[in-house]
Amino acid sequence: MNTLDSLRRHELLLARTRRHFLRDCASGLGALWFASTAGRAWGAPGIAAKDPTRPLHPVAPQFAARAKRVIYLHMAGSPSQLELFDYKPELARMDGKECPSSLLAGKQFAFIQGVPKMLGPQFPFQQHGQSGQWVSDRLPLFASVVDEVCFIKSMYTDQFNHGPAQLLMHTGTQNPGAASAGAWATYGLGSENQNLPGFIVLTSGGKNPDAGKSIWGSGFLPSVFQGVQCRSQGDPVLFLSNPAGITRGLRRRTLDALAEINEKTARDVGDPETLTRIAQYELAFRMQVDASDAFDITREPAGIHKLYGTEPGKESFANNCLLARRLAERGVRYIQLFDWGWDSHGAGETEALHHGFKTKCQSVDRPLMALLTDLKQRGLLDDTLVVWGGEFGRTAMRENRSGMEMELVGRDHNPAAFTLWMAGGGVKRGHTHGETDDFGYQSVIDRVSVHDFHATLLALLGFDHLRLTYPVSGVNMRLSNVTKPGSQIVKGILA
Amino acid sequence: MNSGVGFWTGVVAFASLAVSHAAVPQAAPTTDFNRDIRPLFAKHCTACHGGVKAAGKISFVYRDMALAAGKSGQRAIVPGQPDDSELLRRVVSADPNERMPQPDHGPALNESEIETLRRWIREGAPWKEHWSFVPPQNPAEPTLKDASWAAVPIDRFILARLETEHLKPSPEATAAEWLRRVTLDLTGLPPAPRDYEAFLEDRRDDPRRAKERVVDRLLSSPRYGERWAAMWLDLARYSDTYGFEKDPHRDIWPWRDWVIRAFNADLPFDEFTIRQLAGDLLENPSADDLLATAFHRNTQNNTEGGTDDEEYRTVAVHDRVNTTWTAWQATTFGCAQCHAHPYDPIPHRDYYRFSAFFNNTEDCDQNDDFPRFLIPRDLDQRDEVARTQRETQALRKAINDEALQVATSVSDWTPLVPAAVKSSGGTLTVTEEGRLRSSGTIPVKAVYTLTAPALRGLTALRLDLLPESQDPKAAPERGQAFSKIALALAVPGASNQPVVLRELIADYLAGPHDPARVIDSGGGFGSYPVMNAPRRAFVVLAQPLDAPADAKLEITLEHGIAANSGVQGCVLRNFTLATSTNATLTTLVNTPERKARWDALQALKDKIKDVPGTRVPILVERDAPALRESRVFVRGNRLTRDELVDPGVPELLAPPKTDHRLTRLDMARWLVGETHPLTARVIANRLWAEMFGHGLVETLEDFGTTGARPTHPELLDHLALRLRGEWKWSIKRFLREIALSATYAQSARVTPILAEVDPANRLYARGPRARLTAEMVRDQALALSGTLSTKAFGPPVYPPQPDGVWSTVYSGDRWNTSQDADRFRRAVYTYQKRTSGYPVFLTFDAPTRDACTARRLPSNTPLQALTVLNDPAFLEMAQSFANRMEVVGDTPASQIAYACRLLTLEPAPRSMVDTLLKLYRGALDDFRTDPAAADKLAPTPERAALVLVANTLLNLDVALTR
Repeated sequence: MNTLDSLRRHELLLARTRRHFLRDCASGLGALWFASTAGRAWGAPGIAAKDPTRPLHPVAPQFAARAKRVIYLHMAGSPSQLELFDYKPELARMDGKECPSSLLAGKQFAFIQGVPKMLGPQFPFQQHGQSGQWVSDRLPLFASVVDEVCFIKSMYTDQFNHGPAQLLMHTGTQNPGAASAGAWATYGLGSENQNLPGFIVLTSGGKNPDAGKSIWGSGFLPSVFQGVQCRSQGDPVLFLSNPAGITRGLRRRTLDALAEINEKTARDVGDPETLTRIAQYELAFRMQVDASDAFDITREPAGIHKLYGTEPGKESFANNCLLARRLAERGVRYIQLFDWGWDSHGAGETEALHHGFKTKCQSVDRPLMALLTDLKQRGLLDDTLVVWGGEFGRTAMRENRSGMEMELVGRDHNPAAFTLWMAGGGVKRGHTHGETDDFGYQSVIDRVSVHDFHATLLALLGFDHLRLTYPVSGVNMRLSNVTKPGSQIVKGILA
Repeated sequence: MNSGVGFWTGVVAFASLAVSHAAVPQAAPTTDFNRDIRPLFAKHCTACHGGVKAAGKISFVYRDMALAAGKSGQRAIVPGQPDDSELLRRVVSADPNERMPQPDHGPALNESEIETLRRWIREGAPWKEHWSFVPPQNPAEPTLKDASWAAVPIDRFILARLETEHLKPSPEATAAEWLRRVTLDLTGLPPAPRDYEAFLEDRRDDPRRAKERVVDRLLSSPRYGERWAAMWLDLARYSDTYGFEKDPHRDIWPWRDWVIRAFNADLPFDEFTIRQLAGDLLENPSADDLLATAFHRNTQNNTEGGTDDEEYRTVAVHDRVNTTWTAWQATTFGCAQCHAHPYDPIPHRDYYRFSAFFNNTEDCDQNDDFPRFLIPRDLDQRDEVARTQRETQALRKAINDEALQVATSVSDWTPLVPAAVKSSGGTLTVTEEGRLRSSGTIPVKAVYTLTAPALRGLTALRLDLLPESQDPKAAPERGQAFSKIALALAVPGASNQPVVLRELIADYLAGPHDPARVIDSGGGFGSYPVMNAPRRAFVVLAQPLDAPADAKLEITLEHGIAANSGVQGCVLRNFTLATSTNATLTTLVNTPERKARWDALQALKDKIKDVPGTRVPILVERDAPALRESRVFVRGNRLTRDELVDPGVPELLAPPKTDHRLTRLDMARWLVGETHPLTARVIANRLWAEMFGHGLVETLEDFGTTGARPTHPELLDHLALRLRGEWKWSIKRFLREIALSATYAQSARVTPILAEVDPANRLYARGPRARLTAEMVRDQALALSGTLSTKAFGPPVYPPQPDGVWSTVYSGDRWNTSQDADRFRRAVYTYQKRTSGYPVFLTFDAPTRDACTARRLPSNTPLQALTVLNDPAFLEMAQSFANRMEVVGDTPASQIAYACRLLTLEPAPRSMVDTLLKLYRGALDDFRTDPAAADKLAPTPERAALVLVANTLLNLDVALTR
């Protein structure tokens, strides 16, 4: 690949593209983008007909996709599977007893010291819907749509701290620098709406997730694929609106002047980047309208606000769920929500199972029900994959920070078992995959690693995870992590 | 290459026709291993027969493995005998079970590839090291048809290639184009019109001398260091925060200032290297030598509660290795972390031998970034304060060593087995062998109380802290440390009487806790945050114990030291006690001389206690007794440790010549040594790329088998050798040569022929044209608007940034927008937060600085357009720019012409002024009918219209490129 010969061939190929571009520039300016480093960036095998000049142009995946887009609801901090979905009567019987040493051998915890006490489920469980799936009384509205949901109760990870675990969950590796799943999805598929970013991130809970922006970064992929964080206060996309005093008409005049002068530069200098720049300014101009419209939830009827429990102008998970639907409708490829505040250690009220955790459950119960209901009634659920989960699970033991019994009740981080659910986009309805042990402490049956999950996510989007790759320093990197061979698609959940 | 699908097919056919005149070595009489064979192996073979996997015991990465018999007994390659070579038989085989590569692994080799292999084997299968691992050779002077164009030797190499390609250099750039290019490239700022006037004036007499004067002026400008530091800060992953969850503030900006000063002073690159990698190990290091080592303290530090300090210490060590190899060697050494390098001949073990250089520094992922070093604000005080700190450390060590020598000479140590033991939490027991072991849940602040018969004449207690595991590969394990020890006499019928302790003598001093105070107010002794090996301490009484016969001795051990951001208690779990009645220790600790030494130590500490400055994290090597052992991690997993290794450089490269155990300093000197094949080439290529937009080796980060090959190998070697030899590692001399070259002086105009033949300008038949870097986008706008503050150095500043961009978990850090001049400082001084970078910079492709970044890939996106159009910081600059225009010109036309000249230097083309004037008039009409809108931008509609013109100018393609 790196002989001069192939370098030349690649450049000639680009030259032809550019000539083609110059010839068609009158009509085709809109969606064009030039990577001057395209020679490096687009040799990746496995992507059919990826056009280096149009990185976000929609392209067909490797095989028929079951999901066209993803709405990923990440509960940052990691909610307790034992208080929501993974019902363990045996754990209730162990409540208050010393943890058996077999559960502690070789384990490392973030906070638990020595020999902690077991902690039974803190809320009552009931079976729901036709499928009879277990949901605790913390999520009564969500329980009403549980027949749409496919649970994976046997997830596990190898990271037990938030930052690294979130990185692993979204980029396939625990250290910053790799590409996020959303970046891979837009790299592989482009986006269906060129006037909006293809990968949008929305946060709630008052904070960014622990690992910060690296978890929606493009890592080693070109930066054009990074997630664009949209905000609930001010401009939804940074610098989207014109400064006060500059009307849309004036902005148009500015762009006309820019185009006039830049076109002359293009003629004088002959650098195709100049033409690309003209195109990007026009795209920005259209984005100003389309993105503002997409993010304006006041346009929704009262019934929809009632369904979601939304209050325009507020930063909330409910608002973000409604926005997610609006963005999905507009063809955004990957919509990533982060809701912060699920780290129920019990060290303070906001993170105790009987306090903060209850409030968090209330704040997501209605929006979760509403999102699934709304996507379904619009026919979007069939090809939209909704994913819900944290970055790890929580221990079957009560946390005893500093080796002391704590006043409030909580659980420590547990990488060995957690529950993740999906809905829509090609997964079974009303289904449960995998099991944990009697205490919900370790995944034991049909275990699913984070890498298996990534392989499955890509499969649903129409990709072979081994073939959606990007060359970095001689290694074909992939979402399912090239250093962790053996990842399997979770066939048991495919509809 | 990707192939077979619509878009590509036609192009490939087209391309193969068009390249027929290119240098394809088909007719050459011999093969060249690096040119012809290694790429074939890399493409078809090494995935299975390489460094990671050597299927059938065949590897095409190592010569001996390629030539030896494989598992089947067959020899893949028999030099001179293609027909006896299994390799050839397998690649031509029609049997799908036999053919290589196996059909499901890849396509068969084509005819010409097979023929090349056959010819190579017939010629004796000569093997060569990959080009970048072979030391550069002085290339022959290129022979030219017409050398008159060449201004410096560089040009001869460029021209030679152009002649073979039947291309001519482009005409010389205009004075304005060259001046703008060279000023932005060397200082990161645009030239002022007066610089242009002066240059025009000067070049009337002697154009060459005029250029030299410009380049010399730019190289000696204080702005030069600020521009070139930006390049180095990417490699150094410099950030004002720790990274990870809370991403707290880190005071390491004095190191950033050191880099700027080093560039301005043209510190030779070899010195620059040695000081950053091992300045602490130089003899009598100056404050700057120590400060320079903060280079490798730019690693991330994870303060999230419960994160394993040892895990993130190891991550930092590996990051130092990988960063060193990327920045200085452009080698993907990190590949060898988990297994042998898949393509380059670097065994797995070599990774851990090299890691050992970095595995013995004191830092260990502590929340306070320990160890830090006081760097006084006053530059003149720095060396003295550094000396005081070094003396403090040395004296503290001498005080301990003096007593340690006595303690180890004492021979009457008798095991002390307590009669009763008690812990405030969990369980503490005495084993049959007399060891104390704890179990259960021991609280962080557990207190142990041990009772034994009081020994008359007791002078000292010895404590031995022991690992729990006997397996040497199990280390490190959880730490063990106590924070306080107290002795008391318990006499029946009376209250306990405290026994006065005088000193704790440690086996060695290491880690963040000073053991001196564990005998009174509290400190720490033990192995922290993890235990690598046994520890020993001697607790010396103030005087030999005088105790009644029925008295008991009560020993209280207090804890309170927790690792992993304060949550993993490091209580003692396995330890023994012994006693001595030898009075030499009590005598020693009571001598006036010793007391004087302790007082001198305190005086040294007091001397710098109130010196204003910044405590900067630096590298501090642990003393020999505290040496951490280094082991190979199986598959890169730090929990599966294998053989012990000593520090060493990869076997592939000639090692430093010494007879002692290699140190970090040896390694640093070796990197910039006379025989090293990579360093000079790598830095030469990087500097070239900064000036030309891309490197002679395009992959600045990878000179290995999978990286790009140099477009001009002889030129690269010529530059590398001159950089190291003639120029004595002077970066300024190197850049001066490039800036004054005819190659660099060409017009950047892309003619249709050049667009066709060399779209990416790899042959340099025209001048460079590149988008401004993120830093330049901001700095140029500041300069044009007239608001640029040239204040240099100091803590990072906070230019305007939208509310809500910073919202990090568990962090009270706030973006308090700078006022006054700090609002308008150069980009290099902007606060750099890892988890939330300054939006403008990220949008213009600056990295997050999570890890070493060797190359920014410039993009061209709508978000960039929105940023320069609408970011309030850029609007503010447009407003100042408009003020400037209004002050200078009387009419809109003259105001606009002036602004255009600020940007392009030359009198603005008529068409440009006309376009902007049309914009101005349209805007003015709008603002007059809607004065409220104008009010939001400027005091008058006229000024508001100029703001719009300024806003447009900052967004022009000619503004955003150089």
